[in-house]
Amino acid sequence: MTSATLTAAQPRAARKVRRAGGPNTGTRILQSTWLVFVVLAAWWVFSARSTNFFIPSLEQILTVLVRDLGNGVIMAGALYSLANLFVGLLVAAALGIGFGLLLGEVGWLCRIVDPIIHFFRSVPQAALVPMIIGVFGLGQGPKMGTIAFACLWPILLNTIDGVLGVEPTIRKFSKVYRIPRGLHFRKVVLPAALPQIVAGVRVALPIGITVMVVSEMFASTEGLGFYILNSSATFQVPETWAGALLVGVVGYIISMLFILAERRMLRWYYASGSQ
Amino acid sequence: MTAPVQADSQLAQSTLLMKVRGMTMSYGSGTAENKILENLDLDVNTGEFISIVGPSGVGKTTLLRCLSGLLHPKAGTIEVGGAIIDGPHPDLAVVFQDYSRSLMPWMTTRENVAFPLQGKGMNKADRIRVAEENLAAVGLAGQGGKYPWEMSGGMQQRVAIARALAYNAKVLLMDEPFASVDAQTRFDLEDLVIKLKQEFGVTILLVTHDIDEALYLADKVVVIAEKPATVVDVIVTGFGEERDQVDTKADPRFGEARARILHRLRKN
Repeated sequence: MTSATLTAAQPRAARKVRRAGGPNTGTRILQSTWLVFVVLAAWWVFSARSTNFFIPSLEQILTVLVRDLGNGVIMAGALYSLANLFVGLLVAAALGIGFGLLLGEVGWLCRIVDPIIHFFRSVPQAALVPMIIGVFGLGQGPKMGTIAFACLWPILLNTIDGVLGVEPTIRKFSKVYRIPRGLHFRKVVLPAALPQIVAGVRVALPIGITVMVVSEMFASTEGLGFYILNSSATFQVPETWAGALLVGVVGYIISMLFILAERRMLRWYYASGSQ
Repeated sequence: MTAPVQADSQLAQSTLLMKVRGMTMSYGSGTAENKILENLDLDVNTGEFISIVGPSGVGKTTLLRCLSGLLHPKAGTIEVGGAIIDGPHPDLAVVFQDYSRSLMPWMTTRENVAFPLQGKGMNKADRIRVAEENLAAVGLAGQGGKYPWEMSGGMQQRVAIARALAYNAKVLLMDEPFASVDAQTRFDLEDLVIKLKQEFGVTILLVTHDIDEALYLADKVVVIAEKPATVVDVIVTGFGEERDQVDTKADPRFGEARARILHRLRKN
């Protein structure tokens, strides 16, 4: 009896351990990141022998990056850029979700504005930067506005799609049980559309980062985009590379943080297997 | 046929709760008009269990949608408690056929049951209390923290029933509520509904294509048929309050009534 209980219990215990920590956390991180190290090593080795002025060695790039991170040159620029990105995204999300919910619910309104939305969505957002900055000036506001404008469309379109995709039976439920309009929006339509909305924000994120950099390349004196453009114009090639590398890393970190937040926010969605 | 007469006099004492007169419904217009329901009358007394039975595609779901206010009938009136109603009404609660889709996966079962009460303006503590009470009534005591997708189909339908009960409507409308569960679960849910009717005195209007289910559950079976659909027969079952999946169905009156309904439906 005792031995039977033991053998029965063992595999379950073993499975639990594996699920909790995998082989172990260190090994798991190594498993998912080893290629990054290989690529970095290859870059390091191949660029070390570079004689091309425009392709500095990775060593040079990292040295410059560490130096400018340390002396605050990049930090000030990064904070300026990220503030623009953050405010821009926030404005885009607020407008996109708000109007998306409205347009998704009100069919005739959606049909009227549909061509306009698709036109603006199709314009390459970076192409609008010179015009917007020309019209609204050089301050931080127009840059935030440009980012918001670029990020608005994927969020708006995804929100509309999400609202249109709300399960018809749940709509019937809401109607028959006379759920008041405000409550219906907040507790029925919004959560039902949330997976789509979040996907829209995820698409908007790299667009926002692109426009953030481009907006700082036009008559700007601050930000990561300015750092890249300025160093390039003065032939400080390692700085240019360092700036581009940093933007990539920052973008990656933001995406990862966003995915973590998404997993938490949409726990029901992933757990229920609705996706 | 002595029993139905007895039951009839019994029903005559109860009060008329819901009155449907001349309900007509069609889709499209002109030559393309597709008439679904024609001049349909229905009386529902307080505390009565009525089954509406008819073949698939006859317009049962259309009828229920008209009754629940999801569709506007082309003609006719619906009265509940003496007042004419037009559109969704707090006196009517609906249990949908596709229960798993009518529950919201982002809410726990407790929140699902309590949610319509929030719409009614009930405060949070009361909502939670009422939700828990009704979950207990359908045999899901202590399960309020689970999400619908953590439950079996039968349990999900129990949640949907608890939500309808908690809404405290005068009439419960059920649209083929047990069509997509297995036979054993179906018997359990049928007996649950009978129990709830006895305990809480709810008035129930259930639509089904299953003649046995219609007879087993109901005090009165309304047979609808033809195109456009209209009431072709009304049978008072007279089995009394207590039902049993084996004994009630073995009752000779059960077989008689079933034969009568089948004959009527096969005429078309």
